[in-house]
Amino acid sequence: MSTVIEQIEQQIAQLSNKAVKKNTGHILTVADGVAKLDGLSDVMYNEMVQFPGGAIGIALNLEEDEVGCVILGDVSNLKEGDEVQTTGKLLSVPVGKALLGRVVDALGRPVDGKGPIDSKEFYPVEKIAPGIIVRKSVSQPLFTGIMAIDSMIPIGRGQRELIIGDRGTGKTTICIDTIINQGRINKVGLASGDKNFRPVYSIYVAIGQKQSNIVRTISALEAAGALEFTVIVAAPAADNPANQYIAPYSGASIGEWFMENGMDALIVYDDLSKHAVAYRQISLILKRPSGREAYPGDVFYLHSRLLERAARLDGKGSLTALPIVETLAGDVSAYIPTNIISITDGQIFLETDLFNQGIRPAVSVGLSVSRVGSSAQIKATKQVGGKLKGELAQFRELAAFAQFGSDLDAKTKAQLDRGSRIVELFKQPQLNPIAIELQVSVLWALQKEYFSSVEVKQVVGAAASLRDYLATRKDALLTKIRTKAALDAALDAELKTACDEWKGTFAAK
Amino acid sequence: MRGDKKTKLLAKQLFKLSLVNGEVSAAQVAGVLGYIEKIQPRQTLALLKLYHRAIAAEVAKSRALIEHAGPIGDSALKLVESAMTQKYHRAVTASAQRNDALFAGLRVRVGSDVYESTVAGQLAALAASL
Repeated sequence: MSTVIEQIEQQIAQLSNKAVKKNTGHILTVADGVAKLDGLSDVMYNEMVQFPGGAIGIALNLEEDEVGCVILGDVSNLKEGDEVQTTGKLLSVPVGKALLGRVVDALGRPVDGKGPIDSKEFYPVEKIAPGIIVRKSVSQPLFTGIMAIDSMIPIGRGQRELIIGDRGTGKTTICIDTIINQGRINKVGLASGDKNFRPVYSIYVAIGQKQSNIVRTISALEAAGALEFTVIVAAPAADNPANQYIAPYSGASIGEWFMENGMDALIVYDDLSKHAVAYRQISLILKRPSGREAYPGDVFYLHSRLLERAARLDGKGSLTALPIVETLAGDVSAYIPTNIISITDGQIFLETDLFNQGIRPAVSVGLSVSRVGSSAQIKATKQVGGKLKGELAQFRELAAFAQFGSDLDAKTKAQLDRGSRIVELFKQPQLNPIAIELQVSVLWALQKEYFSSVEVKQVVGAAASLRDYLATRKDALLTKIRTKAALDAALDAELKTACDEWKGTFAAK
Repeated sequence: MRGDKKTKLLAKQLFKLSLVNGEVSAAQVAGVLGYIEKIQPRQTLALLKLYHRAIAAEVAKSRALIEHAGPIGDSALKLVESAMTQKYHRAVTASAQRNDALFAGLRVRVGSDVYESTVAGQLAALAASL
């Protein structure tokens, strides 16, 4: 027993004599959440720096005789001459399933008042994106629940699809709908007991958003039962620019944990325009040379290194990114939009005019594209919606042409008639994603001319009626479409019977 | 006061002139100060502040400031001096400064490096880990 005590005493003696080396410096200036420091001769790029009062900074500018550092936290108590020290650590955030259903700040600290997060693992905020060898091409669909997108601009797991448009055109709504749809699919999939089912976990990163909007989003997700599969990273407009700059990287780290542990995740960056503005503010205060629109030279790298972290990994999971960019007066050729368009694997462009005409979601078919294409679609969607994009584009062209003359031949009139029905069919209320099997059924009905006899203005109601009919009375058929993911002769026949029955009830009304 | 680019460059050049064999030379510094007084360059105050900061940082690299709570003997000072001279590959002179807030132990500061072996430091580390 005495030897054990001696061992402990030795340990204590070792501890008490051990000198700890710290690398220190002093604050020269503090302004707008950015500090200039002297000393810190051993500081590394992106290293966490400890400020007095528990505030943390990140070393971003390593100059010959001073260090530029953004401060994450309260800067009101910091003053010139205060001692700071390096930590030897990179900024890290908690990751794991414990974060699901929680709202955290840019550093992964809970801000929802639901108590501490029991997370064992931490991931660095800045991480090098997966390389070429470990990646796999995108081939699995990620259903948004929005008919216009799932049928014409499909998104795959591991893809980066930009959502772009002016303010108030429904960009956030598309992303929230997608998150809600993942929650709905997860619930159905997990309840089915299918061992091959892969749930999609969502991360919503709010950058520079109004607090009231974030609260509204949380409420919408909670009401739809999707919050339990979602992590919300909030860096609202009231947060300092350093937090807004870090937040998307923190969100990416949280998403990477799911990806690297064999799960699928979806991350929404809402929005990267405000992220670029926050970074511009930091860069200007750090006196970095400014370029076009006063953005620093590395603003492309700012977003490319973030979006490259979204991938589908071979033998592991995937991280799908939906970055949002706000345009001014529909100008997609501005600096940040063009940068992000070139980084992502496609974009969904939302038009103000369409939105104001009541076409919601206001997806511009001509300007929207998914570079992954039909490889991220199930066969059933390809079978029923393969030609829709072309038809709709042709309709828009004809509609513009038809404005100049009234004498149109029968074929053109038929095309215009069909096009206007497709437009009506794609109208969808917000926070109401449609299951893929229902989308396939409705598009099948469109293909088989079930909506031809319906007045154009009544197509929205007719489609909703068909969906209700199928959902309430033809559950077995919908399950078959969902599980088979392709339409064969037998399913065609069943769909025909179901649609004929529905047509009878709809016509009788 | 923060100087412009030219002032910073001049301060750097004057600093380099103040070194002899990699160490700050008192004679050279006196010469530099005399030069500044004579020609009165633009932004003299900013220049002097920048020059002062550079010289102070360089001097601090050759000085080991030992903060202590209890008594400290000459032998301990010599020991620290030789250890730091060996570590930093330059002549380091040690000086002692009493600091009762440390409770016990030593804190050695060389340039921006701090070697903490004090009770106060350990208590602070313990508080941070809780």
